Amino acid sequence: MNAGRELHLVGLSHKSAPVAVREKVALGGDDLKDAMSTLAGRPGVSEAMVVSTCNRVECYVYGESLEEARRFFLERTADAEGHLYVHSGRDAVRHLFRVAASLDSMVVGEPQILGQVKESYGLAAAAQSAGAFVSRLCNRAFATAKRVRSETEIARGAGSVSQVAVELVEKIFGDLRGRSVLLVGAGKMGALSAKALRDLGADRILVTNRSPEKARGLALEIGATAEPWDGLTSLLALADVVIVSTGAPTYVITQDLAAHVMKARRGRSICLIDLAVPRNVDPVCGEQDNVYAYDIDDLQKVVVQTHTARAEEALRAEAIVEAEVTAFAQERETRAALPVLAELRRRAEQIARVEADRTLAHLGTKLDEKGRKSVEAMAQAIVNKLLHGPTARLKEAAASGDSDLPGAAAELFGVEPEETQTLPEPRR
Amino acid sequence: MSLQVLRIAALFYAGAVAAYVVYFARPRHVRLAAVGQWLLGIAFLVQAAAIGLGCKEYGGTEFFGLRGGMVFLTWLGAGASLVVQRLYRIPTVGAFVTPLILVVLLPTLFLVKPDARVEVPPEVLRPMVTVHIVTALLGVALFAIAALVALMYLLQEREVKGKRFGALFSRLPSLAALDTLNHRLVRFGFVVYTLALLSGSGMAKVVWKSAWQWDPQQVTSLVIWMLYGAMVQLRHTGWHGRRFALLTIGAFGLVVASMVTLNVLPEGMTRHGGDFSGERK
Repeated sequence: MNAGRELHLVGLSHKSAPVAVREKVALGGDDLKDAMSTLAGRPGVSEAMVVSTCNRVECYVYGESLEEARRFFLERTADAEGHLYVHSGRDAVRHLFRVAASLDSMVVGEPQILGQVKESYGLAAAAQSAGAFVSRLCNRAFATAKRVRSETEIARGAGSVSQVAVELVEKIFGDLRGRSVLLVGAGKMGALSAKALRDLGADRILVTNRSPEKARGLALEIGATAEPWDGLTSLLALADVVIVSTGAPTYVITQDLAAHVMKARRGRSICLIDLAVPRNVDPVCGEQDNVYAYDIDDLQKVVVQTHTARAEEALRAEAIVEAEVTAFAQERETRAALPVLAELRRRAEQIARVEADRTLAHLGTKLDEKGRKSVEAMAQAIVNKLLHGPTARLKEAAASGDSDLPGAAAELFGVEPEETQTLPEPRR
Repeated sequence: MSLQVLRIAALFYAGAVAAYVVYFARPRHVRLAAVGQWLLGIAFLVQAAAIGLGCKEYGGTEFFGLRGGMVFLTWLGAGASLVVQRLYRIPTVGAFVTPLILVVLLPTLFLVKPDARVEVPPEVLRPMVTVHIVTALLGVALFAIAALVALMYLLQEREVKGKRFGALFSRLPSLAALDTLNHRLVRFGFVVYTLALLSGSGMAKVVWKSAWQWDPQQVTSLVIWMLYGAMVQLRHTGWHGRRFALLTIGAFGLVVASMVTLNVLPEGMTRHGGDFSGERK
């Protein structure tokens, strides 16, 4: 009934393709906009939208076939072949809803993806590749994501070790402004956490390492200050958050050192995060007042807990997505049925008018004004009576999601409705 | 009449308790915190009306007795907690403060008549006694809120140190925020309590002809004042966190203990709260 137009999806993601392939097809900003606009101009494509993030590139087209979407990838790299997944119709709708709701993400429940999909849609709207269908689809996808976020606890908790560290530090120090972070050792995970803390407002980051070159290198990389290893004690007296990840086989921060440092700090709280294995911070340190010590196991345990909790919540989220996919399909069928009705009525009324006019022309002046009116009314009444049954049935069928009847009606009466293209401006 | 109005105020307090407690259990419903604060504000205003009516009905002497004191204490506590919410925006504090207010207020609702014992001689009724009652009770209210915040600190510290990152951990505010709030409440409470002591001894000088008489109430008040003064001082030498929280709770325990014991002491032991007249027996 829509001349075979359907939603098609061709894409690749962290699940199907390695980063070497993903980075070859990933697009951003104006390139993405141009690509969407080109795509929408291709034959057989009515509307198009491309979602491109570091974890996925997905090409949604609304049209007769998915060939153009596939070509979108193969034009960019031949390597994409074999990594692509393809969905059509309801499956494609479901996929977009799951992506927007962060059910398909590497870290399920992470909040960025919804913003990224919104951005893609904004670009598609700006490139005028998103029309009525994609607008409705995306708005529904955003609504679904919002429902999932508010009705399940899928986004609760910390999903990674550095996120756990950040959450902990926030619960100890609250506002991070004016706090300083000390990195002991030049480990990668420590650097990540330090960066996250600086993003939250920590004033300065200090780096110290047994080899000063490495400390300088890392300091340069993350915008920190390198400090000499000999000054560790005074650095500890200064910093509020200490992230330790050296390769040392023994405790770098012993209980005595911690006690000494706490005296120098006049009891100000300190948080020691030990990411090293074997451990670099004596766990007994945490028994002192205002010393908060954690090792990698403590943090990882939280990550595991979060993931288990999210997996449970994901099941509830899937149910919401399924309900929304069904609702979207029903809404679409209702919309599809209404044009058939309108067209049918328009045709019938046209016939009635033509026939009434012809009859009146034959009768010529034999009829007065009242008689003319009666003939026209009779024609209209016949149309109404005839169409009453089909109208009711079609409306019923549309509401209950029966998609066969409108198509059959179109066949039977020989009308071919086009889905109306006049729709409100897509929301950004 | 004033009692009816007070009961209406208690209903609003109960509403505020419900809103804050549900908010604490389900922090997703952020609006509940605002609802709680509104209800607390309304309760505060209604109780103000009840206190005003009470003053008209009984001439204001009810606040010299235990019941009136409790009514006034809860009112000042509600006001102080509204100000704290306004300044620090830590709505979870409401989940701890409002239940306490309601618990203290409840017994006063069913004593129909204000304390019959209270007969205040006219020479006591001067502006300074109003200052004394208001500052003493406001000081106690602030110390009470400080103790609750300290309790929240200890709960959160147990979660953070015990590596239990569960429901309490995520609902309670950060240790630093609680510690700072606790300290500020203690400091402000100390200032207010100092005023209470000064106005109190001023009253004693007028009524008893001597500012200091080794009256048990005077002695305990001085001890409490010195304890909170010491806490304000200790803060500067680096005392904070767990030890400070424990001290806050301990000091408030002393405040409560003194209020209870001084009220059950046989008459004549203390002149306060009953016998304002003449020479010491």
